[in-house]
Amino acid sequence: MDISIPHRLIGLVAQGSELVVKASEQMSLWERMQPPVDISTSGHLIHWLFNYTTYVNLFWFALVCIGLFGFSFLYWEKRHKKALYTHGNEKKHLMITAFIGLGVFLSVDLVITKVTTRDMKEVFWNFPVNDPELVKVQVLGQQWAWNFRYAGVDGEFNTADDVVQLNKLVVPVNKKVMIQMTAKDVIHAFYIPNARIKADAIPGRFSKLWFDTTKTGNYEIACAEMCGNHHYLMKAQLTVLNQEDFDRWVKESQQIAIATNDTENMDLRWGWKWESR
Amino acid sequence: MAFLEQHIHDAPTSFWSKYIFSFDHKVIGKQFLWFGIFWLGVGGLMAMMIRWTLAYPGVPFPLIGGLMFPHSGGVVPPDTYAMLFTMHGTIMIFFAITPILIGAFGNFCIPLMIGARDMIFPTLNMLSFWFSMLSGLVLLFSLTLPMGAAAGGWTSYPTLSTNIGQPGAGQTMWLVSLFLFGVSSTMGAVNYITTVITLRAPGMDYFKMPLTIWGIWLTAILNAIFVPVLGAGLLLLTFDRVFGTTFFLAGAAATSGKGDPVLFQHVFWIFGHPEVYILILPAWGITSDLLAFFSRKPAFGYKMTALSLTAITVLSTVVYGHHMYTTQMSPLLTQSFMTLTMLISIPSAIFFANWLGTLWKGSIRFHSPMLFSLGVVFVFGLGGLTGLYLASTSIDLYLHDTYFVVGHFHYTMAASVLLGGFAGTYFWMPKMFGRMMDERLAKIHFWATFIPLNGVFTGMMVLGYAGMHRRLYNPFIYEFLQKLMPINKFVTYCAIAMGVAQLFFLWNFFKTIFGKNIPQASANPWEVGTLEWTIPSPAPHYNFDEIPHVKCGPHEMGNPNLKTGRDYQYQTEELVKS
Repeated sequence: MDISIPHRLIGLVAQGSELVVKASEQMSLWERMQPPVDISTSGHLIHWLFNYTTYVNLFWFALVCIGLFGFSFLYWEKRHKKALYTHGNEKKHLMITAFIGLGVFLSVDLVITKVTTRDMKEVFWNFPVNDPELVKVQVLGQQWAWNFRYAGVDGEFNTADDVVQLNKLVVPVNKKVMIQMTAKDVIHAFYIPNARIKADAIPGRFSKLWFDTTKTGNYEIACAEMCGNHHYLMKAQLTVLNQEDFDRWVKESQQIAIATNDTENMDLRWGWKWESR
Repeated sequence: MAFLEQHIHDAPTSFWSKYIFSFDHKVIGKQFLWFGIFWLGVGGLMAMMIRWTLAYPGVPFPLIGGLMFPHSGGVVPPDTYAMLFTMHGTIMIFFAITPILIGAFGNFCIPLMIGARDMIFPTLNMLSFWFSMLSGLVLLFSLTLPMGAAAGGWTSYPTLSTNIGQPGAGQTMWLVSLFLFGVSSTMGAVNYITTVITLRAPGMDYFKMPLTIWGIWLTAILNAIFVPVLGAGLLLLTFDRVFGTTFFLAGAAATSGKGDPVLFQHVFWIFGHPEVYILILPAWGITSDLLAFFSRKPAFGYKMTALSLTAITVLSTVVYGHHMYTTQMSPLLTQSFMTLTMLISIPSAIFFANWLGTLWKGSIRFHSPMLFSLGVVFVFGLGGLTGLYLASTSIDLYLHDTYFVVGHFHYTMAASVLLGGFAGTYFWMPKMFGRMMDERLAKIHFWATFIPLNGVFTGMMVLGYAGMHRRLYNPFIYEFLQKLMPINKFVTYCAIAMGVAQLFFLWNFFKTIFGKNIPQASANPWEVGTLEWTIPSPAPHYNFDEIPHVKCGPHEMGNPNLKTGRDYQYQTEELVKS
């Protein structure tokens, strides 16, 4: 264990934790427990199902607790000297057990499976490939950074005029964004907490996801899959702009790309032809 | 039931043949227990370091930090942090839980509870322990390597676990160690399965076996089928690392040929999901028995419980894909895995109902094994129900790889298994070592473990719901996680409290075994009727002078027709009817 790490890093870490305390001193516990603000049009589906599951879970767990603590209290040896001699295999016992099993199946399994299937089919797996205004971005994960690629003026990916960004994803508000991604070295996972969305970026494979934002501002993108010692530093920024600002940004970046992209540098050509499926 | 003739040989006399290379299932069981407790300590200490780093990033680890990490002034460095959580997972699963629940209780309980003199393959049994030992030594040695031990997570997904992400020898040692461990597990499993099938005492039908044996037996079946699958995956990964094959390499990393890193995930989780049940089934079995014993009435719906456990065992083999939703398998596959996963809730609901049915109208004695068993019901309730969130593909989009998952699987695999293990230890201690553990210390141990335990794992789920993802050296470089600092501190305090509480157990355990003036336990201190309590404590050489004849079920208690003055009857006695 004698691998030294730069002291600078530890300094940074310590400094960071001091800032933390200051930033959030005034929050109540309830506020701290909440997920980051939802900026997506699909996040509420996840929250609805999460809440539903919580309510049925609370119901069933309350039953378990009533049995566990109630029976423990009522049938303590000192209160209840003689145990009832039953093997619990009479018809009425089996009926009760079967009824509980059925109740769980109907209230939990059936609803969650059905709602999940509906949401996945109608929203999360329903990629907006035919949307004429779709914003397409290619993502490459690497240790420990996110690369983003826009098609550039010619509308084709992996050409010399592509807009390529490091750790900075810019999207317009209220527009569908589709991301195709892969990874260079190890498996990463593209995670936008504010959009409630996540997918693995895997070497040799393409993954895809789409989202739609409702609020402008700066948000964080994380890597959710363990990808090495500095996994925790693999952070990027998501900037959601209104349409005007986004158009301006696109124009500027395209000009910069044409002016500065080194056409000889094959390292910049990590993109691929957009998969239209 | 046909049974094989079981010869009685002379008891070994030398130290080596008695305590080290012993063929006796009881000694091997104890060896596994010591082995497991040692690693539980190591894994626990690692957990403390992980928790400390999450609550106090950049602050030196107290007391031993300076000694362990001199180059960073006592602060856990990021590479060591990755190594710590990798080793914590590996150690707890393979070297703490498995040896204690399966190695120790499996070995100790199977022959005693089914009325056999030993396991059917004593040599294989001994080998199984020594292979475990060897694999433990390899893992321990890998910690001393100059580039450190494996640090790619306990799941060791390629390509991170190939030479691209883990250039040091630590990862190879990890593979070798787990492969050896797999050999040991397979040998144990084959032995357990065969012993239960062939050596049950006459009259001991499958549906007269204690539920502990049901749990361990089903575990052994899963082990025998799925550990070899893990072995195959480990071998292929070793080839990739050592011989330059490309089974799991793709992308820029593959200089020749093209493999697929996701293939490893399939192989790993085909084993990995049954593994979860491999760990929990013995604890469920123990809990089911102990709830009946200490409620002084027969297990409610015994047959249904045994069948539910079997149903879960079968289902556990076809749900593994829910670990891999984010790899974007085909929607058909994803949907099927989700639906199958959900189905597990039905048999779970049934045996939960039966557990509560067992308590209903009992005459409950709150001895320490009972407290721990009731604890299992509580924590597994929470652990099982929180699995529903993660089984749903859409919720998983948000919660996958967050602390919600960490909280959930610790509730199921760590909390319930740990409590079940303690229940078993307190319960069988008199039969193992001939002495009762201190009941007052045991009760303090229970409450001092149970309360902070819930703080730790509920806290983790709260963190996960707020979006905190896993395996971060310093989560607070993310702005949206900065508000979680106090909750992280709370979890860490609870974890430290839970860690300290284990000193009550250690003190009690060592005091009981090595202390002076500890009274001998009677043959049947808990007043239960299964076969191991028909013989003296500690269990004598070759257990049974006469192979017992079984005539009734394992939990015949509270029978109003009993005229013996006892409220229970031994399994060797004819069921009393009015």
